[in-house]
Amino acid sequence: MNVLSIRAFIPPLTRRCLSLPPTRRYAVQAPGAPTMDIFSHSHKWMQKERAAANTESSRNVDYLRDEAASRLCERLMDINRHFPHVLDLGANACNVARMLTLPSPDSPDAGPRSKRIGKLTAADSSETFLFRDAGLPFNQQIDVHRQVLAAPELLPFDANSFDAVLSCLSMHWINDLPSVLAQVNHILRPDCPFIGVMMGGDSLFELRTSLQLAEQERRGGVSTHTSPLADVRDVGGLLQRAGFNLLTVDVDDIVVDFPDMFSLMNDLQAMGESNAVITREKGAIQRDVLLAAEGIYRELHGNEDGSLPATFRLIYMIGWKNSPEQAKPLERGTGMFSIKDYLETQGKKDDGK
Amino acid sequence: MPGRTRPIDKFATAVGKCSKEGSAYGKCIVADYHNVHKDKCMTEFLRLKDCFLVSV
Repeated sequence: MNVLSIRAFIPPLTRRCLSLPPTRRYAVQAPGAPTMDIFSHSHKWMQKERAAANTESSRNVDYLRDEAASRLCERLMDINRHFPHVLDLGANACNVARMLTLPSPDSPDAGPRSKRIGKLTAADSSETFLFRDAGLPFNQQIDVHRQVLAAPELLPFDANSFDAVLSCLSMHWINDLPSVLAQVNHILRPDCPFIGVMMGGDSLFELRTSLQLAEQERRGGVSTHTSPLADVRDVGGLLQRAGFNLLTVDVDDIVVDFPDMFSLMNDLQAMGESNAVITREKGAIQRDVLLAAEGIYRELHGNEDGSLPATFRLIYMIGWKNSPEQAKPLERGTGMFSIKDYLETQGKKDDGK
Repeated sequence: MPGRTRPIDKFATAVGKCSKEGSAYGKCIVADYHNVHKDKCMTEFLRLKDCFLVSV
């Protein structure tokens, strides 16, 4: 191999100090799939345990999770089949289980939504949170099994063991989303759906911008107070990469009005949704920054009636595990019917109306 | 937690009493929020902080 060496161009003294390898080598990537840890799981676990230990305040802030869980159940009920075994991944306080025992808001007389569900396994890493509502009456109306996960990103379930996997507002704390989604795909039976909802996009942008402006003005720099979140665009790619078929992704914005910024932060803390980014500034936020952020929040985003809006952007995703029997798109060029002709005749009909 | 006011609650009530100063400070920042630098609204903030320290 004829290798061009730069050794000749280095002055002799430097050459003696530097031990350059005589040959050039190819750059290689480190083995495995290196992932960057963004969220601290131990810190998140502690926040959830603490939040759930105060049962009353924790139940008071279930409004967001209940609403998201209810909308998630509606999406599950749209699928016309019986689900013998369902997994609720990242169950929090089993909000999905409770919402399943209630009738659908569209048809209040139809009875509980859980009648098409056999067994529900609720899995979460925080034990106190998971068992918070274990004594409530809804537990008798649905066959719910609670399982504490030792590691939030490792699913200890057998392959092909679930008829549906749900996830309600917990996936935004997962570091390695591609791996978890691939595991979900693995434990699903063929032709079974994964239906999840996660925080994403511009959730809490009002709080984020106010804190950033306040820190910029008070301290001359910004630190992380809100999590980086997945965007709608990313979710489709993530599901596809995990091997899901027939994807559906849609977005719901829920705007909640708060009397002041501190009630919002208080509620977030009681939900166990405080900041758990590893690179966050340790210790409490400075009083000056809080004082400044409240004024900016009110001026920049406040409603006319004096309340402060907080936007939660929920991203719903549905993906189906691959199966040979599944309906597939036809091959290109096999269409026997021209959609152009159809739309043109249809358009003429509509004009006549 | 019965019988105990959390410090943040005390803080929130005190801040609530200074809405006028808070709004003046907010206006100063929002007037040009693409170009915020340290101590840009120093006078407004000190006024807000004085009010807060009195009401706390």
